[in-house]
Amino acid sequence: MKKYSREWSVAAAFGLLMLSLLIVAPHFFHWQPLLSRVTSQMPAMVVALGVALVIISRQIDISIGAQFSMCAVIAGLVAASGLPLGVAILAAIACGALMGALNGLLVAYLGLPSIVVTLATMVTWQEALRLWQQGRLLNLPEGIQWFGQSQAQGQAIVIGATALLLILLSWLMKNIAVGRAIYAVGSDAEAARLAGINPQRTTFGVFVSMGVLAALAAVMNLVQSPQIQPSCGDGMELKAIAAAVVGGIAIRGGRGTLWGVLPGLLLLANVNPALTHFHQPPYWEKAIQGLVIILAVVADGWNQKKQSKNG
Amino acid sequence: MLAKHETVLLAVILVEILLFQNLGRNFLAESNVSNIFRHSVEIGLLALVMTPVILTGGIDLSLGSMMGLCAVVFGLLVKQFDVSPWLAAVAAISLGAFGGMGNAFLITRMNLPPLIVTLGTFSLFRGLAEALTKGSEAYSGFPQGFLNLGNANVLGLPAQLWVFFFITLLVWVLVHRTVWGRSLQAIGFAPQGARYAGISVGRNTGMAYVLAGAIAGLAAVILVARLGEARANIGIGYELLAITAVVLGGTSIFGGSGSISGTLLGYVAIAILNNGLSRITAHQIFDQPVSSVARELSGMLTGLLLLLALAAGVLLKSLAIRRARRQSLITTTNPTPST
Repeated sequence: MKKYSREWSVAAAFGLLMLSLLIVAPHFFHWQPLLSRVTSQMPAMVVALGVALVIISRQIDISIGAQFSMCAVIAGLVAASGLPLGVAILAAIACGALMGALNGLLVAYLGLPSIVVTLATMVTWQEALRLWQQGRLLNLPEGIQWFGQSQAQGQAIVIGATALLLILLSWLMKNIAVGRAIYAVGSDAEAARLAGINPQRTTFGVFVSMGVLAALAAVMNLVQSPQIQPSCGDGMELKAIAAAVVGGIAIRGGRGTLWGVLPGLLLLANVNPALTHFHQPPYWEKAIQGLVIILAVVADGWNQKKQSKNG
Repeated sequence: MLAKHETVLLAVILVEILLFQNLGRNFLAESNVSNIFRHSVEIGLLALVMTPVILTGGIDLSLGSMMGLCAVVFGLLVKQFDVSPWLAAVAAISLGAFGGMGNAFLITRMNLPPLIVTLGTFSLFRGLAEALTKGSEAYSGFPQGFLNLGNANVLGLPAQLWVFFFITLLVWVLVHRTVWGRSLQAIGFAPQGARYAGISVGRNTGMAYVLAGAIAGLAAVILVARLGEARANIGIGYELLAITAVVLGGTSIFGGSGSISGTLLGYVAIAILNNGLSRITAHQIFDQPVSSVARELSGMLTGLLLLLALAAGVLLKSLAIRRARRQSLITTTNPTPST
């Protein structure tokens, strides 16, 4: 039987988009703007990696945008108070892990559906942040931008760190018992339990990792500008979930590779810049993203139907 | 007789009323009481029709975005094409039903998970609304006769409240007094079992989404009538408030059990919370302008309330199971004298 290869078809679609841009609007590929565009898309990529883990374990997390904002503000405040950047990063990670742990606790140990739990925590964090910060822009101290390096070095660090995370997580998911446990729990929690895996602990761990990845993404976003908005993560959840689903992570859990998330994210993230370069109005972005999500899920459904007929 | 859960909710509502009557000014004044409902009736409408959807074990995240799309199309029809508002209202409701049909098709025919389908249409409907208004345009200047739907009183009550009463009755009858409503509970309880019992799972489930879409269209029209303006960002976050009302009202998020009366009480509890918080004077909580604080505080509390209601639901259930198990243990260890 032909191997399921969504990753390649998405990569092909992305290649097609780039090719048509190359013909119609070659200035899309000017090095400096291209580099900063790619760098600005890396935080979403890290969040999408986390959400891919969550979806593989057959859960969902829509509070990640709020987690992202919260971690960014915490890191920003710590940095602004004069403490070194390392402390700020640690604070963000701790904050993300705590928020992830709350989701994990409610989902894994109380058995509540993740969609409603994370819907509730999303609103709680989002509104708490608004109440606390009142939408103020947060100015960051000098040494924060690009980790205190030059812009080129900073961009290299952000892109390199994302690539490292992608390689590391892909390898872990494929070769380490914990990674295989996540797939097992996602495809059949009861069978996984009978095979000696603790599904509750696995699910809990996945949500905590999600929080940590959201925190890392928030830091990567933080270093790219001299100030941050407390609403910087709004809508991030949709972008990340869409990237994961489009990249071939099966929404019913248990299937998909983290590699696929990269073309999925690049395809979606470049809808908006592509619209501008094709001289189309940018307000179609959300509609197109929604359509792409639906198409991806429909393709997924068809594929599954075909497979169950064959098998 | 009221079920136990609803009695608890009634008590919560009473506590809220007592609290806000003591903290805020003129909370129970007649004008404020009708204000509470005038400003939240759309959430009530969404909660009513979210109930059958959740009863089947599904969820509809797209209802708030659907309101935005219906509102924009309504405004477009009235202002650009000179359609009469009432005809445009019918069109908006039909559009809602049509969008709901799209959800239903993907969920029941293509057999896709409701969560991700409606997450997709959540983005799609809002995106279409933004595209139609080029991101920022708003339509206003509707005829006074139409605006009365949102702002006037009929027989001493806000006009839209009468619409709400009618829809409540309709949904109550549909859910609790028809074969369809009964089948929804069966589907939510055990889809496969319902299929073996001869219930058309796909069609019955699909109808819940169509109904939800249509009423979301109606809610959009009512909201436009109150605001006097149709924008793309109408109804953002309303689906969450509706889900909160339903879950607070004791409907199981896993499907299979729930009631319209519970949803109504859940909605009233949320509506009073939102209004009551906005009437507490600013310096009682923070040294900040009250309007900005109240909205965020009530949003945050709604989220926390939902978490608490969910956790309480699960804990109570596990307690009940434990009690039932203990009872069955007693009956098996003390067998009745055999004949």
